[in-house]
Amino acid sequence: MKHSFNIVANHKPATLERVLRVVRHRGFALQTFNVSASDSEQVAIELTVTGERPIATLQTQLDKLYDIAHLELIPANADAQSAGIRA
Amino acid sequence: MTGAQLVLKVLQQHGVKHVFGYPGGAIMPIYDAFYDSELDHFLCRHEQGAVFSAIGYARSTNQVGVCMATSGPGATNLVTGLADALLDSIPVVAITGQVFSSLMGTDAFQEVDVLGMSLAVTKHSFIVEDINDLARVLHDAFELAQSGRPGPVLVDIPKDIQIGQVDFEPYPIPKPELPEFSLEQVEAARSLISHAKHPVAYVGGGVGMADAVDELNDFLTTTKIPAVATLKGLGAVDPTYPYYLGMIGMHGTKASNLAVQECDLLICIGARFDDRVTGKLDTFAQKAKVIHLDIDKAEFGKLRKPDVAIRGDFKKLIPQMKTVVDIGEWQQQVSDLKAEHAWRYDAPGEGIYAPALLNELSQKLPHDHVVSCDVGQHQMWVAQHMQFTSPTNHLSSGGAGTMGFGLPSAVGAQIARPDTMSVVVTGDGSFMMNVQELGTIKRFQLPLKIVLLDNQRLGMVKQWQELFFEERYSETDLSDNPDFVALARAFGLKAKTIHSRFEVSDAIDQMINTDGPFLLHVVIDEKANVWPLVAPGKANHEMIEG
Ligand SMILES: Cc1ncc(C[n+]2csc(CCOP(=O)(O)OP(=O)(O)O)c2C)c(N)n1
Repeated sequence: MKHSFNIVANHKPATLERVLRVVRHRGFALQTFNVSASDSEQVAIELTVTGERPIATLQTQLDKLYDIAHLELIPANADAQSAGIRA
Repeated sequence: MTGAQLVLKVLQQHGVKHVFGYPGGAIMPIYDAFYDSELDHFLCRHEQGAVFSAIGYARSTNQVGVCMATSGPGATNLVTGLADALLDSIPVVAITGQVFSSLMGTDAFQEVDVLGMSLAVTKHSFIVEDINDLARVLHDAFELAQSGRPGPVLVDIPKDIQIGQVDFEPYPIPKPELPEFSLEQVEAARSLISHAKHPVAYVGGGVGMADAVDELNDFLTTTKIPAVATLKGLGAVDPTYPYYLGMIGMHGTKASNLAVQECDLLICIGARFDDRVTGKLDTFAQKAKVIHLDIDKAEFGKLRKPDVAIRGDFKKLIPQMKTVVDIGEWQQQVSDLKAEHAWRYDAPGEGIYAPALLNELSQKLPHDHVVSCDVGQHQMWVAQHMQFTSPTNHLSSGGAGTMGFGLPSAVGAQIARPDTMSVVVTGDGSFMMNVQELGTIKRFQLPLKIVLLDNQRLGMVKQWQELFFEERYSETDLSDNPDFVALARAFGLKAKTIHSRFEVSDAIDQMINTDGPFLLHVVIDEKANVWPLVAPGKANHEMIEG
């Protein structure tokens, strides 16, 4: 299953490493990882991962990271679902 | 003042009185500041000793434990303790010196990327990049270590920051914010409880850490719901509560494992469905609905899907769970189970039966004592056969199972609670893993009592080899152990060896009545095993006995 997150994090040493470590350690594989440091304070991260475990287990672990200010899970296969509704 | 002086001032603002550590080049400015500070620094004999002392300090008081180390090897020696604190949710603040900022990234002498190293073993970690951030980072570290689910926090401080100049400012310690829970959730939980015919409370370490032991016992005595505890939950349930069945899990009591397998409602209070508790997960309490109460919402559904999950402060949440239940038949069933599977202490022969010794020791110790153990068979015997009136009185490495935990964690507890008798129960393997801390005991004249159960084996591993590896005893023989009595005496401890069960009573009395530190070296049969046992991959009702 593929899942996407939009994250806003404090731009601190090791913020990105922490996110990547949690993704791997909790059993998910990284698909895409886009980072834009809009200012020196915050960094925006778009993350796509795949994995078999319930995505809530990753979401809550990421959410616990101290430097994550905002975390949004984009509903799984949003495109496919809306396509399904149209069909 | 200097950054180094500020570090110690901030510790004092947070009420710290005792620090455990070991000096070195990159943290020398902070050690220099200790020289005329009111803080008491305790020199341990290895950084691992320092971090476990901080853990023992934290666990025996529910306050933050603080340890320090220099850069490079000093910091890497902390890793095992930090991992231990992370897995057991222990509030620890570790401060490490780092090489000068200008040298970082050049492979300077004793430079290790400590921030990078810390990621997997701390709740959070900081590197201080600007001296003006130093105080705030330290305040954050204390707040983080204690808030929500507690854990270890590391602060890495480059040497230039320690010697830089900075102003000290007063800081009002904020009150921790506790999560709110909804009455709707409480109602849903209460409804499950009042409709249950066979409920069991599954009590974990979270109860003690939330300081909610009284609230838990009030809930239990009001509802008379049977209770079981995890290794870290031991001491939370009053041991005289008639429907308390003891420890659950791999080496739990038969009564508690069978009751949980039979229950129709499992009320999980500050526990996390660890595999050593559940056995084969999909066979665990199969018929039960689950109420999960915790401070960390990441635990909800991580291993077992709850029917009702409530995140909250246990001091407020547990009293809300009280409701009327009608479970007379179940109480009878549980009482019968408890009677049927009560421990027996009669063993054949003249040798010393460790469970009987520990049971006797438990009865003879003063009411409010601390027992800290190492890891292996002796640890499980402590959990089975000693009784605790508070989780702060039972220190055991649960999540990590770290050999070498016992001696230094008892050092921390003895310093935190100087008037409490502290006892280490250790094995001949584990004792040697932080044996250098006998030097700390000697230096600070700590009146620790050490009970060393010597089976001349890495007993727990040997037990598994016997049961699951066709008796192929690979690398578990310790029959060339040192002379432990001579070793203890070299560090100024009184010491004695016993071999026969007829010596046990007098030896325990002698140990308890000795003023200073004492090591009781207990020779036990290498064939003794821990029973009952749930084999790996098996269900908890399939316990085996010797
Ligand atoms: C640091 C560490 N290394 C290895 C182990 C694996 N291990 C678990 S129990 C055990 C044997 C412990 O022997 P001992 O301390 O003599 O206690 P006993 O089981 O004999 O009571 C070992 C090696 C561990 N838990 N921790």
